[in-house]
Amino acid sequence: MAKTVTFTDPTGESAPVKLEIFDVPSDLADHDQRAGKIPEPDPHYVDLGMLFRLALVEKVRREKVTDTPLHLALRGHMGTGKDHDLEQFAALLRLPYYRIPLTGEVRDITLIGSVKLHGDGKGGTESRWEDGDITRALRGPALINLSELNAAGAETLFALHGLLDRYQSIDLPTGETVRLRPDTRLFGTLNPTDLRDYAGTQTLNKAFADRWVIWEKGFPTDEQITAMLQRRYPTMAEPYIKVISRLAVEVNESFTATDARTRVGTPMSLRTVLDRIPAGLWVYEHAEDPLRRSWESFVIDHVDPFDRDHYETVWSAVARKGPSEKPFGK
Amino acid sequence: MRSREEALLSEILPPEDRVIEAVVARYQRVAPAVTRFARSLASNDDLRIRLGSQASAEPGEIVMDPGVFQAAYARSAPVTPSEVALASALHEVVHMVATDLDEHRALPEEWFPDAGEPLPEDPVSLLDALDKAGGPAAEAMFFSIEDARQESQNFDLYPGARSVLADLYLASIPGAMGRARPMGQFALACFLAVGGYQDVDTLQQRSEVHVSMALEEARDLIDDAREASDGWETAGVALQLLAVARLHGLLTEASPDESKTRREDREKADQNEINTGVDSLRLMSPIVQDADSYDQTRKAMQAAESLQGRPDDAQTGGDPATEQILRVSEAPDVHLPTGQGGKLLVTPLPSRFSNYADRGFEALETAARRWEVGERHISGELYPLFVANQRRGLQSGFDAGDLSPHAALFLGAGLYQRMFERRSLPTRRAYSISLLVDGSASMLQPRPLPGGVKAPWAMAAATLGAWTLARLCDELQVEFEVALFNRAFAARHDDTEQTYVQRAHRTKGALRRSQGSAADRLTRTVNHYVLKSFDNRWETAKDELAGLFWTAAHPADAAVEARRNPASAPPVSMFEKAANVDELNVQHAAERLGRRPATVRMLVVLADGMTRGSVDALAATVDGAEHGGITVLGIGIGDDTVTNAYSRHQVVERPDELTRAMIHGVRSALRRSIALTGGDTWWAHVSQIENTITRSA
Ligand SMILES: Nc1ncnc2c1ncn2[C@@H]1O[C@H](COP(=O)(O)OP(=O)(O)OP(=O)(O)O)[C@@H](O)[C@H]1O
Repeated sequence: MAKTVTFTDPTGESAPVKLEIFDVPSDLADHDQRAGKIPEPDPHYVDLGMLFRLALVEKVRREKVTDTPLHLALRGHMGTGKDHDLEQFAALLRLPYYRIPLTGEVRDITLIGSVKLHGDGKGGTESRWEDGDITRALRGPALINLSELNAAGAETLFALHGLLDRYQSIDLPTGETVRLRPDTRLFGTLNPTDLRDYAGTQTLNKAFADRWVIWEKGFPTDEQITAMLQRRYPTMAEPYIKVISRLAVEVNESFTATDARTRVGTPMSLRTVLDRIPAGLWVYEHAEDPLRRSWESFVIDHVDPFDRDHYETVWSAVARKGPSEKPFGK
Repeated sequence: MRSREEALLSEILPPEDRVIEAVVARYQRVAPAVTRFARSLASNDDLRIRLGSQASAEPGEIVMDPGVFQAAYARSAPVTPSEVALASALHEVVHMVATDLDEHRALPEEWFPDAGEPLPEDPVSLLDALDKAGGPAAEAMFFSIEDARQESQNFDLYPGARSVLADLYLASIPGAMGRARPMGQFALACFLAVGGYQDVDTLQQRSEVHVSMALEEARDLIDDAREASDGWETAGVALQLLAVARLHGLLTEASPDESKTRREDREKADQNEINTGVDSLRLMSPIVQDADSYDQTRKAMQAAESLQGRPDDAQTGGDPATEQILRVSEAPDVHLPTGQGGKLLVTPLPSRFSNYADRGFEALETAARRWEVGERHISGELYPLFVANQRRGLQSGFDAGDLSPHAALFLGAGLYQRMFERRSLPTRRAYSISLLVDGSASMLQPRPLPGGVKAPWAMAAATLGAWTLARLCDELQVEFEVALFNRAFAARHDDTEQTYVQRAHRTKGALRRSQGSAADRLTRTVNHYVLKSFDNRWETAKDELAGLFWTAAHPADAAVEARRNPASAPPVSMFEKAANVDELNVQHAAERLGRRPATVRMLVVLADGMTRGSVDALAATVDGAEHGGITVLGIGIGDDTVTNAYSRHQVVERPDELTRAMIHGVRSALRRSIALTGGDTWWAHVSQIENTITRSA
């Protein structure tokens, strides 16, 4: 009997979803390498409901939507945890995880592949096709995360069109057709077009966007950040967790403000909250006010100068002074 | 912002840090965040927040009086000025957002335990109901408790700001408790306990024995007040607290046969005790101070609207001194390359000048003829230069197009709409020209003209020059800006001679009284009147410029007119005799110019005489602008200061020289730009140009 994994709804509203996990066939040419790309479950990961929602969609596509493509893209500001969600989903389903950024500089040859010249060992050369990132990933079971969809250049979009629609394949210049396997999943992530130019230019190309189901991912709430900090830093003192969560929520609320005059240009990403500030707390563990010191050198220094007053006003309103106890080791 | 070394208010803040401008400046640093907090608190993304001399609150707008913040800086407490800036503003915002006593209800029966007959059922306002139930003392108690309740409930999200408030209050407790009479002590203790600033036990230790006993009995009520969900509920608790106070003999005893006036006096005295007790500690917020202040705050807006029709012009009939200080404090700071800087009041030119538009058009025609400034042939001569250069810009755009080898495929697939993409389209807007005209009174004074006569030609000629260049730019579709600058009491956009003179008079008087020697600095400001901005259409600015020309060409007539019809005439008195600060204006114009998406930027300054600042600072400013890619031309009218400050300069002694100097300047800038972009066409050669000019002149 195939192994299964169960996804539970953190809100407790819906019944758990049970899914068979994927298998990397042992006859694949790149079996070992591919199997090595199955991510490990992150013990610090807090499911805010995203995994469960992804599992629901996976279930539907296995049972009902078997031959139409259903690709999901997560849209959220930087550091809201989009990539992490997809990676953890792959971990639980035991799917090799390929994260392929589509930034403007990426050429179609990098993604699809190209003909390379090789020495034939007899002083001459022979030309051989070499797979690009996407083609390589498509050759076996995989969860492919095409990140930064909206940064993709026209060349890249063009290369991907066929793969994403009903054709579900890429035609290589060699004449070969690489099909989307039933055990391969395509996902994407993208940043919301900057609030400042919503009316403007760099929105996702319409034809391209039409090939995706797009889900919004907002900034985490107070309670969610608290849960992540508690999971990741079990010894962090409660007052620190409380203030850090509040700071993040307030700054991010200012980041999403509609009025340009009351807005900050830099959000407080999960990386700031989960990595940098705690690192600062370790560094300044013995300082008089560890949180303030961490804030100064691990947050404020990253912020654009014109945002500093705003950040500092949020600091004063929410914290003013850091907690008086030691940050760790309760 | 918060330097760790910032002084605490417990040390004495130097007087210059307590003046209202410093208070406003500090507020401005926290304003964006505070506004955002206010919008979150009010759940209204469109809530407007501004400063004004009369506090007011209505659903869409909050006006805060910086005088209220200022009071907070006079305290002695272990808090820094920036902390006070935030806490005082947030405090005001919280109360403005949270206070709404307008809901009418029927009189609650429990407020009238002794009522013999059934109460009327008509809904009444909270304050009326409270007055019926408990008189002035109830009102005072209610406002204290309501104030504390709002703070305890709304500062939850902002414990940092709350702790600043707490520090301010805690530092005042010993003095306030010491001074207060028993009823005052009780009210104050209730305020502190409901607000959560100090617990009942600690407060009891500081109170007289009767007060302490009353507090013991009030414990539950204090909890109720903290949990109350609206003003009506708080009011109910306030009445019960008064009952407790009465029971413990804290309120003045009524004599059984007391007369009406006697009773009123007694109640007033109780009210007074409560207010004095609480007010000696809390940060004052007009909306929760007392009933009158509440009404005033709620109604100020409506009153202003019905009087002025427009609430947003800061003409709310408030205190002229504060209004002026706000105007100055809120004006942009202009920073010079020398490190110096100052405030620049940037406003549109008063629109009344367009009253004289018709005379202006006529006068412009006459002057153009007399001073030999043919508008037509100038644009006719420059037109081919502009068009040729602009077309070139277009083509080079195509050259620079980024063509992908897959273009044909992409076009076919509908991915590309055009074969060539360009990042910006700087075609028509490739040129930006800004014109700054000196608007000091000396520009309106008679000066010698050829032939030995004297006439007030400087401003007139400058305005004519501006007019000519404006038309030229408009015709050639070159974007441009025209501004007038001076140093005087600043006019407002909608000023007439009358409103201007009256406001100037009242403001100067009020400022002299309140600010002493600082009054002159606050009234005689450096002003930058924008006649036409880059974004406005020339059509909309024409009339004002023409009217201004008439005023400039006939200053005596304009003055007579203003005396005769002050209520409709433009504010001609705005041209005061005070030396300008040219560099601030040049810097400001250069910054605006620098932000335009243009390839050629030019600033022409028409100035008269010395700058009040320093010639060195002016020279450094001009130099900075030139380094930023702006061609700056200084034209001195009968004065050669420009030769020391502007690397490109010309001194003109006659009106006809002036316009020609301007045109010449623009033309050479154009030539320079062509040389820079590597173009080489017949008309770019100097001699040819000179020929053309001479021929057509
Ligand atoms: N649910 C979660 N529980 C715990 N940690 C999380 C969670 N989501 C994200 N993180 C952590 O937050 C950080 C940012 O996450 P991630 O890189 O996935 O964000 P992202 O939205 O993809 O950002 P970007 O678009 O900038 O790459 C990582 O350090 C990740 O470990």
